[in-house]
Amino acid sequence: MSQNLITEEKVFEELKKAIVETLRVDENDIKPESSLIHDLGAESLDFLDINYRLEQAFGIKMARHFVLEHIEEMFGEGTAIDENGQLTEKAIQLLKIRFGEDMPELKPGMDMDEVPSLVTAQSIAQGVMDILESIPDQCSKCSSTAWKTDDGTHVACGSCGEAAAYANGDDLIKEWLTNVQEEKKIF
Amino acid sequence: MNPLTGKVSLITGSSRGIGRAIAMRLARDGSAIVINFRRNAGPSLKQAEELRDDIEQEGRKTLLVQADISQKDSVQSLFSDIKKHFGRLDFLILNAARAPFKPIEKLFERELKQLVETNYLGNIFCIQEGLPLLKESRGSIVFVSSLGSRFYNPAYPLGSMKAAMESVVRDCSESLRDDGVSVNAVCGGIVKTDSFKVLRQYWENIDMLPEDLFVEPAEIADTVSFLCSPESRGIHGQSIVVDRGLSNALYRPMSKK
Repeated sequence: MSQNLITEEKVFEELKKAIVETLRVDENDIKPESSLIHDLGAESLDFLDINYRLEQAFGIKMARHFVLEHIEEMFGEGTAIDENGQLTEKAIQLLKIRFGEDMPELKPGMDMDEVPSLVTAQSIAQGVMDILESIPDQCSKCSSTAWKTDDGTHVACGSCGEAAAYANGDDLIKEWLTNVQEEKKIF
Repeated sequence: MNPLTGKVSLITGSSRGIGRAIAMRLARDGSAIVINFRRNAGPSLKQAEELRDDIEQEGRKTLLVQADISQKDSVQSLFSDIKKHFGRLDFLILNAARAPFKPIEKLFERELKQLVETNYLGNIFCIQEGLPLLKESRGSIVFVSSLGSRFYNPAYPLGSMKAAMESVVRDCSESLRDDGVSVNAVCGGIVKTDSFKVLRQYWENIDMLPEDLFVEPAEIADTVSFLCSPESRGIHGQSIVVDRGLSNALYRPMSKK
């Protein structure tokens, strides 16, 4: 966690822009707690558009796969989603750690098709912030430790101009999963 | 004037993308259109209804049928609806596809099953169930393939199913020859439909490809229309590449953004 130069306000501003451009909704309707699917009328493909715009805006790579897929990749098929396409108890336990306890829809037996509606503006913004905070201490090319940003979204080395090498979204989810597993031994 | 007047075409998976473009094109050629989509939930139904309105604006008849082609009973009821409603079928356009985007060795068992059920079994169910009507009309089957049938594409297991189906196209073309049913495929390059949004995630800097290499859905649809016309009568069991020349060249100068 060295020196992320990009503020949460800026992230939210860009996120709103991406949502408005993709979903053609009124900017004022976008609240941190808005579910993109339930409140803003998104369908699952729209997430790809929004992610793509954020990637372009910040020079980052958002996660391609949701937590559930990472769970199964790490701990085996059937550990997160059962044969009926419903979430397992362990998957719910994990999602509660990630998204918070106060989500009544998070209960075992939840259909996997309902999971995308958990995504809120806040959870996307958090995903972006997590990536931005993965900025390394020093430039991968010249080892300078001075980062700069000219446009408030793209961070580059203050010495050689190389773009900041962030971790990608999927790697961060895997890292998070590994840590949670070590601590709580859920799977 | 309209070469397909009096004909009936089914385009599987036609609520959006290439399927929609084919439906519009065959409607303009004069054909009545059976619009098919998989899910009654989500945006598909609305998109299919919009397509129905657009086709009816062209003065053509339509039939809207929700059916998941990976389910045999669903396919059976799709074709019995067509028989009841129109009493005939001239063109079966196998367009529907559905696949996860992941390297093939990482697919879970349920993903593998879904891959094969929709993109292989589903198409064959459609051929089997559509055959009685197609034999009667001495109609045509056109499969919508992609370059993934012969070239690697990152995270694109669908390509292996496209390859299998191109073989099915060749085989059925011969086995259905005496029935007068012609079978061909159109093998598309990179088309900017919804699935391109997914591909873009795995294909680093795909935007740097020259813009004129991207195929329009209408270009695929025009070739399907040709394969449904008498002018293509000499073509059997072929997969015609429509890719603006993308697959011709190993070397291509890259343009910087």
